Amino acid sequence: MTELDARLRAVRDHAREAAEDLRARALSIDAEPHAMEQHLDSPAFAMIRESALPEEYRSASPAPALAGGDDPAGRGSCLESMVGVLELFRGDVGALLACPSPALAGVFVALLGDEEQKKRFYERVRTGRTWAFFAMTEPGRGSDATAMETRLERDGQGGWLLHGTKRYIGNGARGGIGVVFARTGPSPLHIRAALVELPASGWRAEPLDMVGLRGAALSEIRLDGVPVPGGMLLGEHLPATRRGIWGAVQTFNNMRMQVAAAAVGTAQAMAEYIARHRPGTPGTRRAVARAEAARSLVYEAAARIDRNPDRGYLSSAAKLGATRMAVETAHWAAAALGPAGLLDHPLLEKWTRDVCAFEFMDGTGNIQRLHVARGYQSGDADGR
Amino acid sequence: MTTLLHRAERTARQEGLAAGLAAALSALSERPALSGRGAAAAAPGPWAALPARDMPPGARVRTHPLADREEIVFVACPGPRPAGTPEQAEAARLIAAVRLGIVRRLLDEAVEHLSERTAGDEPLIRKQLITGAVADIIAEVELLREHALTGDDDPEALADLHNRLDDLGWQVAKLFGASGYIADHPARALYVSALVANVWTDRQQGGQAA
Repeated sequence: MTELDARLRAVRDHAREAAEDLRARALSIDAEPHAMEQHLDSPAFAMIRESALPEEYRSASPAPALAGGDDPAGRGSCLESMVGVLELFRGDVGALLACPSPALAGVFVALLGDEEQKKRFYERVRTGRTWAFFAMTEPGRGSDATAMETRLERDGQGGWLLHGTKRYIGNGARGGIGVVFARTGPSPLHIRAALVELPASGWRAEPLDMVGLRGAALSEIRLDGVPVPGGMLLGEHLPATRRGIWGAVQTFNNMRMQVAAAAVGTAQAMAEYIARHRPGTPGTRRAVARAEAARSLVYEAAARIDRNPDRGYLSSAAKLGATRMAVETAHWAAAALGPAGLLDHPLLEKWTRDVCAFEFMDGTGNIQRLHVARGYQSGDADGR
Repeated sequence: MTTLLHRAERTARQEGLAAGLAAALSALSERPALSGRGAAAAAPGPWAALPARDMPPGARVRTHPLADREEIVFVACPGPRPAGTPEQAEAARLIAAVRLGIVRRLLDEAVEHLSERTAGDEPLIRKQLITGAVADIIAEVELLREHALTGDDDPEALADLHNRLDDLGWQVAKLFGASGYIADHPARALYVSALVANVWTDRQQGGQAA
């Protein structure tokens, strides 16, 4: 069990204040995820964005780290990040993901970007008016990144042209800058990431109308010869083995923890909601205890990533367990409200839809099962 | 009752959620205790889920974006609602039959989807984890159908039936991956059928699953 020291408790308490602001905006964002103007000056959004920016791009005094988790951007540990972000997810996961911020693309740019690329990226997102996208997933390939079909073709003048289709990309249709993965050749080492700044010719993006987690604004992107200047391939200054796929794996390790934290935060929110609106409901203490155990596992997995970023066994176990727990809690909570409770409690109804998304983010449950089994067979379960 | 349950399941499987719900509620409304008042009179809570085409004229209605697309509306049921009536138990079993029909309908579609989609040059349906999930789902369908048919009116047993159907629907929805999470996808019926069951069942005392 990971104990929180005074600094981590301060991070948690700071995030709790912002979580209330996110909660207040949750239903509005779910109903109209593309009508964001009224939310952009939210104090919580400002805090989230500032926390995810490297210090030199912040416009306010440094806030405790809430996003990311690797050191290149100077944002503290993965554990610190999880402690903060879990509290924000407890406010509302959809509202948090609707915030214009560096988000996942920021983690990747921090790892693989050179100084010029970082400057272009962070100058755009620091305004709080620009969303960032991280375009990896493709329609027919799901979690199998190595089977990616999107291509980077040379334009004959030192640059590249992007061709292909990406799907389920957060902020894809409203983003201003972000990372797009594509291959320059047949091997996994040919998978590269380009920093793409919009508007750009050949870029067509449309929002997908999703069942839940609508604040994430998942989108489909069609790339028809989108120009990428030669200097905008990320990781060019790094060894070939530390470019596309390596950076993606590191970034997804981070994302997997965030999804687990989102599942825990949402489950805690649902259990607390039932305790407040239906006190004495059978199963409440069990739901609270299960969410608390999953929170503890997320902290433990985050602490382990801080010690060894390349070992993802426990983060996969945390994502698998937390996601299942959150869906079970949603089913219990919906029943606990009594007949038509979901109609009369729209916030809880929204959360029962949102929790389903966690299954599909950063690898389905089956992908996590394979990771967990592989880790177990490698002895990773013996280290606790 | 057995015939009515089979008919509701078959209709839902062949024609979809609204048609299955219509078949179930038509059977329910034949109960003598509901004479002339319509199936909504048996609703255990303040709202009844109905096919939009059967909405009484002038009724106060609540809508839901996903339910709208399944042509389902929620009609207000004012006044005190009696608890634990035989009609409510029958409604719970009929709605369970509809949910089983929707599970079968979407499972058929999921298996087709998984047969076309490949990973490592092999159809996903041949992957052991996927095959196992499909087997678990259909075995649970067989079990829950018998559960609905046994005619046990005990509220805890009926709550358990629907709690397990909530999970069963989710197991099917997962087979579609993220594509089943798009609001225009047929898997939407699984989410809406859970909403319909939430309206038509009282599970407050049986909600101990979490």
